Amino acid sequence: MSSNATASIQLTIDGTPVSVPAGTTIFDAARLNGIPIPTLCHQQNENPVGVCRVCVVDIGQRVYAASCIRQAEAGMTVKTSTEPVLAARHTLVELLMSEHPSPCARQQHSGDCELEQLAAAAGIEQSRFPQRAAPRGKDDSSAVIAVDHEACILCDRCIRGCDDIRDNWVLARRGKGYQAGISFDNNLPMGESSCVSCGECMVSCPTGALTTKRVVGTELGRGEVLDPAELLHLPIFENVSGTFLELNQKAVVKRRFRAGEVICREGEFGSTAFYILEGTAEVFLSSPIAHVKTEGSSHGFFSRLKSMLAPRDEHARSEESARPFIPIDASVDLPYDNPIAQLNPGDLFGEMTCMSYYPRSATVRAQTDCVMLEMLRNVLDILQRNKTFRAQLERNYRQRALDSHLRGVPVFATLTPDFIGHLRDRVELVRFNPGQVICRQGEVADSFYLVRIGFVKVSEERPGGDLVLAYLARGGYFGEIALLTGSPRTATCTALDHVEVVRIAGEDFRLMLDRFPEVRHSLETIAHERLDANRLRATQVQNVPIDQFLANGLMEAQSLLVLDLDRCTRCDQCVRACADAHDGVSRLVREGVRFDKYLVATSCRQCRDPLCMVGCPVGSIRRRNSLEVIIEDWCIGCGLCASNCPYGNINLHPFPVELDDPVMPGRKIASTRVKATSCDLCHDHEEPSCVYACPHDAAHRVNPPEFFAGVLKQSNPLKSNPPKR
Amino acid sequence: MFEELRAIQRQFGYLSGEQLQSLATKIDAPLSQIHAVASFYPHFHLTPPARAEIRICADMSCHLRGGSELKAGVEKAFRGASPDEVSICDVSCLGRCDQAPALAINDQIYGDADVGLATSLVRGALSSGQLPPERRDRVRTPVASDPYSGSPNYSVVRNFVETRDWQGVLAALKASGLRGMGGAGFPTGNKWELVRSASLSPKSVSSKAPPQKYIVCNADESEPGTIKDRFIMEAVPYLVIEGMILAGLVTGARQGFLYIRHEYETPRDVLQEEIDRCYRAGLLGSQILGSDLTFDLEIFVSPGGYICGEESALLEAMEGKRSEPRNKPPFPGINGLWNQPTVINNVETFAFATVILARGTEWFKAQGMNGATGMKFVGISGDVNRPGVFEVPMGTKYSELIQKYAGGVLGNRALLAFAPSGPSSGYLPASMADLPLDWNALAAAGSMVGSGAIIVCAEGRCMLDMALNAVRFYRNESCGKCVPCRVGSQKMVEMLTGWTQGLASQGDLVLLDELSNAMRLTSICGLGQIAPAPIASVLKHFRDVVDEHIVHRRCPAGVCLQQRGTA
Repeated sequence: MSSNATASIQLTIDGTPVSVPAGTTIFDAARLNGIPIPTLCHQQNENPVGVCRVCVVDIGQRVYAASCIRQAEAGMTVKTSTEPVLAARHTLVELLMSEHPSPCARQQHSGDCELEQLAAAAGIEQSRFPQRAAPRGKDDSSAVIAVDHEACILCDRCIRGCDDIRDNWVLARRGKGYQAGISFDNNLPMGESSCVSCGECMVSCPTGALTTKRVVGTELGRGEVLDPAELLHLPIFENVSGTFLELNQKAVVKRRFRAGEVICREGEFGSTAFYILEGTAEVFLSSPIAHVKTEGSSHGFFSRLKSMLAPRDEHARSEESARPFIPIDASVDLPYDNPIAQLNPGDLFGEMTCMSYYPRSATVRAQTDCVMLEMLRNVLDILQRNKTFRAQLERNYRQRALDSHLRGVPVFATLTPDFIGHLRDRVELVRFNPGQVICRQGEVADSFYLVRIGFVKVSEERPGGDLVLAYLARGGYFGEIALLTGSPRTATCTALDHVEVVRIAGEDFRLMLDRFPEVRHSLETIAHERLDANRLRATQVQNVPIDQFLANGLMEAQSLLVLDLDRCTRCDQCVRACADAHDGVSRLVREGVRFDKYLVATSCRQCRDPLCMVGCPVGSIRRRNSLEVIIEDWCIGCGLCASNCPYGNINLHPFPVELDDPVMPGRKIASTRVKATSCDLCHDHEEPSCVYACPHDAAHRVNPPEFFAGVLKQSNPLKSNPPKR
Repeated sequence: MFEELRAIQRQFGYLSGEQLQSLATKIDAPLSQIHAVASFYPHFHLTPPARAEIRICADMSCHLRGGSELKAGVEKAFRGASPDEVSICDVSCLGRCDQAPALAINDQIYGDADVGLATSLVRGALSSGQLPPERRDRVRTPVASDPYSGSPNYSVVRNFVETRDWQGVLAALKASGLRGMGGAGFPTGNKWELVRSASLSPKSVSSKAPPQKYIVCNADESEPGTIKDRFIMEAVPYLVIEGMILAGLVTGARQGFLYIRHEYETPRDVLQEEIDRCYRAGLLGSQILGSDLTFDLEIFVSPGGYICGEESALLEAMEGKRSEPRNKPPFPGINGLWNQPTVINNVETFAFATVILARGTEWFKAQGMNGATGMKFVGISGDVNRPGVFEVPMGTKYSELIQKYAGGVLGNRALLAFAPSGPSSGYLPASMADLPLDWNALAAAGSMVGSGAIIVCAEGRCMLDMALNAVRFYRNESCGKCVPCRVGSQKMVEMLTGWTQGLASQGDLVLLDELSNAMRLTSICGLGQIAPAPIASVLKHFRDVVDEHIVHRRCPAGVCLQQRGTA
């Protein structure tokens, strides 16, 4: 240390002689001597920048000096609070207040917006300057931090926190002059930027420009609340701001489970994810892996029919999946034949439940005594953006899940282990936020994607609106058509919720096609089918009459059951016939929207935007090429599809089952499990039971565009286009 | 950095997020930092620009000569045009104040513009994609103080290489009283001496920059009315270059940069030719004239903006950053480019250093009149018959400058007011036109000689309108780093706009006074500190005009109130 660094200098502050080490700023010299100088842009853990100018002092020069950055000099005479200095500060605060929504989010929540506190101290209630006219906007894209540009005073504290303290370099200024603001990467929404949610910007912000999001239920009721220091000790929380963890303290808890204890159950709703710190757990499906089978009788339609559960090897339906694996919300997939797997320390499960509030996809039971972190969405988001955690997650995925994930897709069943080994190090896991476009129609294709988490909407841009072609859940894949044909993307794929996809580069995909001709062949066949189905839908969409019926969503339907009310006597034969055909559970309710003399009964409308498919935690509901809904055998009966269907057309059918007795292992107990069912158009029969049953010829199944086009022309569409018998 | 950004813009027309990302990867810099820089300079497009992008200057001189009407006319001519085809926007002073009004179409600048010229050029650009070059006169006007009379032999540098008499150079500069001609007027001899004695900073800020001293010539003149450096660089480029070499040899700096605004293409070409000639003649490079002395010189093209002329902001730009002024001290003489001791002088200062060393201190001092010493280049524009740049003795009366040199007030009108140095000096009334061009006299009058950007307002102009125009320039050019300038300049524009629209509020004068004080006393750099000057001068000298607007809600000149200006 040179002697200069320790030398003292003498100066006068507000008439008091003081002595400070050389190199001390005026701000610190005053502070050390009990003279506080107000500031907004300066805080002790950051290098001063002197931009807010609130800390200016008079040092006897032409202009004032920003005390936070100006070094004290020997013999200097500093005046920190003369009338003119106070007046200048007052004006600065008043200028900022004219640009500040008061009270801002911070002031509302904790009453500690530093600007508003200064304004209050200066007696500024209403700035005399005109309020800012041009809005600066809010950014709600991050899961954990709310950004309100309106409240930003451009003090650069967040920028220094991000860049200098955390070395993340995501935040910077953008624009110039009055249009300047803060920006993430190249002015991206925070949630779409490379921000790692370390929270440093938020704890640095003096105002409500960056605040912690107070989402509903940010506190977990049970479990052991962890000290932020303990969390920071874990590599997966490395580099996160301690203050930020403190703010989210009750959103992550430590939980201990004894061997055999159930941690979560399939079908339950939840909002947390679990991270295994110690011990192992088994993940399995306790629902029977089977679907509802309805057996017809040879004695005609009015005899009682019987529904039962049947697995696919006993009763295969057309277009039923032949997948060997069942996708669940964890780092592994479950084999169809024996749906059980093991979870180890470092594994995470419940991501989709936590991020998008979907029901639990499987039951998890402690195999040994376990210690887990249970966390809410805000904490999971912090983890998801942590480099250590991401690396661990990706490593686990590559080593354990890629294999079954790929083979879970029937067309890839024949890939050899060495090729999967080749892909192991080459695939990339990419995350997308709700609404983000993964690939766009018309773009040049460079990759193939497998869905790992979340739902991807596949839609086609058409004049008059996008047509949803499919919703893809875990295990779904997209992007193959353009790579197979070498043409631009045929559809736009958008993340519907928090989506993670496995990206396989175009060159690896082509290598796969070359090495495995059978994969190419099956992909090509499926691609043709997909294209044909799309074309079919396109022709169906054409010539749609535009009227108020669109608002009712009826035009969304591909086929409808309509009741001619002139003929209908409300005898309910149709409903009864439906119940008879489906083991006492009717899938038809004789209520609905009326149009003209027609009642549109509620039964599956095979919508063009099938909302029922969004959120199925195990991805067991999808569409056949005929546009009917099929529910795969591994439905866990959570009922989400039933509640998602805007028309109430999916029902839950209870079945008696025998389950392991948790109290006395080895014993079976009788219980009930439900399976989702929807109108299947009675495809085992020539005509839907309900239509057949109507004694008054009032029930008809129709194609809505044709039907309504006819109604609009004031003709009787049923007469001109009688249903086929 | 800027070369990379310009290359992308040349190729793709704008800087897409994708291109910025690949640049970030290429130069291993955070994307956020690249975006921070690219979004700072209006010259860079972050979205695809229109096929014909018309930017019209309406700052002081151009405003006086119909820039605002030109913009309205062009807007009318292209009303209904697709925004992908034609866009019309403001641009800050293009440095063609002697050819006002000026405009730029796709970065090609045209002076003496009217609606007819603008529309035909735009139609041409849209149909053929071609634009004719700017009229670029390369006639070298003789300069009276040029010691070489147009044929330079670099005798000053030759002499120094012989004698190595740096004390003599510093003494001569000090004795001559030569001051910085960029506006601030810091004594040149002292600045060079400071840098000579400064030690290199051990704290290197860039691995690309070896620890060494630097000479920077500030040729970024961008203040409305300031056109003299353009003239000097075209007429006597060798005096500027020789001054820079001399500064390098005296201070021990081995690298020089000539920082020129990107709108100055002709001076850039002229200078480059002269620099090349110097390298061929052994006047630049290693072993200057066979000696052990080294000095390299290159041109740095500014990414644009008035704030780049502020010396520390200029250094920030040279380091590839947002051009935001630094907190001072430390000053560039100690911590300049890449944190090393740096001489930054104006074009004219370097030229006069050469003149003084060639002709002698006594000659220089004898050039002044009315008690002042030395020569000065002034640009005179606005309401005059012969706008242009003139080489005049210090001490010449402003009335004489306007009358004798610039051919008198336009249209035989009476003189109403003049700005001795663009917006920075504020406006002085006609009654003060007999003031001499003299640092002290102007300072005593509450104004300044500054860069000698004399802008003349004839009878019939509204001085409140002129004050608003000047403040608006500062608002547009504020970098936004500090609160008083970023927010204060906007509020000042809003208040003055209200006044010109008859919307003054009770207490506005008090509030304006408070705001002006805060800006003057607390802004980081000269821009924010000086921004209140135009309205302060109008309140001082034309108070009745202001009162007419805010009390009686009428504009005596009939300029304001019926128009709705854009804030």
